Amino acid sequence: MELDDLRRQWQQPELAATPALTPTELTRLVARQSGSILEQLRRNASRELGLNYLLVLGTLGVMVGTSQLWLRLLAGMMGLLGLVCIYYFHRKLGLLRSMTDPAGHLRAHLVRITEGLRTLIRFYYRLTLWTGPWTMLLMLGFYLGKELHRAAGPRWLLVGIVAGLALVIGALCQVAIIRFTRWYLQRLYGQHLDRLEGQLRELDEPVEIGK
Amino acid sequence: MATAPSADFLAALHEYQPLVRRVCRLYCQDADDRQDLFQEIVLQLWRAWPRYVPQPDAKLSTWLYRIALNVAISNLRQRTRRPASVDVEGEAWHLAQPVESSAYEPEETAALYTAINRLSDVDKAFVLLYLEDRPYDEMADILGITQNNVRVKMHRVQEKLRKQLVRA
Repeated sequence: MELDDLRRQWQQPELAATPALTPTELTRLVARQSGSILEQLRRNASRELGLNYLLVLGTLGVMVGTSQLWLRLLAGMMGLLGLVCIYYFHRKLGLLRSMTDPAGHLRAHLVRITEGLRTLIRFYYRLTLWTGPWTMLLMLGFYLGKELHRAAGPRWLLVGIVAGLALVIGALCQVAIIRFTRWYLQRLYGQHLDRLEGQLRELDEPVEIGK
Repeated sequence: MATAPSADFLAALHEYQPLVRRVCRLYCQDADDRQDLFQEIVLQLWRAWPRYVPQPDAKLSTWLYRIALNVAISNLRQRTRRPASVDVEGEAWHLAQPVESSAYEPEETAALYTAINRLSDVDKAFVLLYLEDRPYDEMADILGITQNNVRVKMHRVQEKLRKQLVRA
């Protein structure tokens, strides 16, 4: 039996044909959330974007409300981090939106998703790399600010020791973060990227007549 | 809350629902996965519908095949219920039941379905469009490759199936 023979019976209605969707069923169906990873990423990014807007508003509130310079500086740095994250999540959402339109032909769709996923991974990786040192700097700034405002004056030796420890621990944490992020990204997107790239390779296989 | 689907979308879906079901049938062996995929395709069709512009030289079916296949193939979902190797015999028997009597034994049909299930997702797209009786120019339009490429790849897929059937 060959495909030509199967074709004759393929399009015949099934014995137990599924009834057509009613408008109510369809309304319920389209109201549900998509199970696609891209949709989940979109929902998460929207939530995180909202949180970052709140963070920036909060830091603005602190900057306006406090008279202490070091606290203002810290709030400013945190707000800056929030702004970077807002920029990141806006770009991420834009990218995800462009990836979720499936109306193009298969090859274009696969190319768009593959490139989009790669860009997302790059984004995420860079942001994670910057977040660690920035957070460490914030914590150090907070500590330094407290020391500078001590009534008995700052303990510079202690400040030096804390800064040295923060540097060593920060460097170790950064190495761990890099390793974990790579593993996490590979686990989360690796299998999908491999599959999509394999499918693209299959479509792009050179055609040699007679083979 | 989502808005209610428009009457023209409902009419199009009513007409082409069997097409979407056949795509799901070919790509998912598990009934739950099949239902999930069906819902995902319908959801994506509904979202893309406002951007659909009817053109004299492009069929609605081509647009539908594109979306259905793109969702089925690039299906970025956690595949917990989809093992790499699955016993499809039972399902193949179910799929193989024709309305009219066939000149072939049910075992032969089941064997062909089993062979199709072993193909890659991309090869299955060629098989699907072939079974759906789509001309090569439309297949090329749906897949985004040249007609010549479609012809050669279709030939290769048929060869793969023949080899698998001989081995079986």
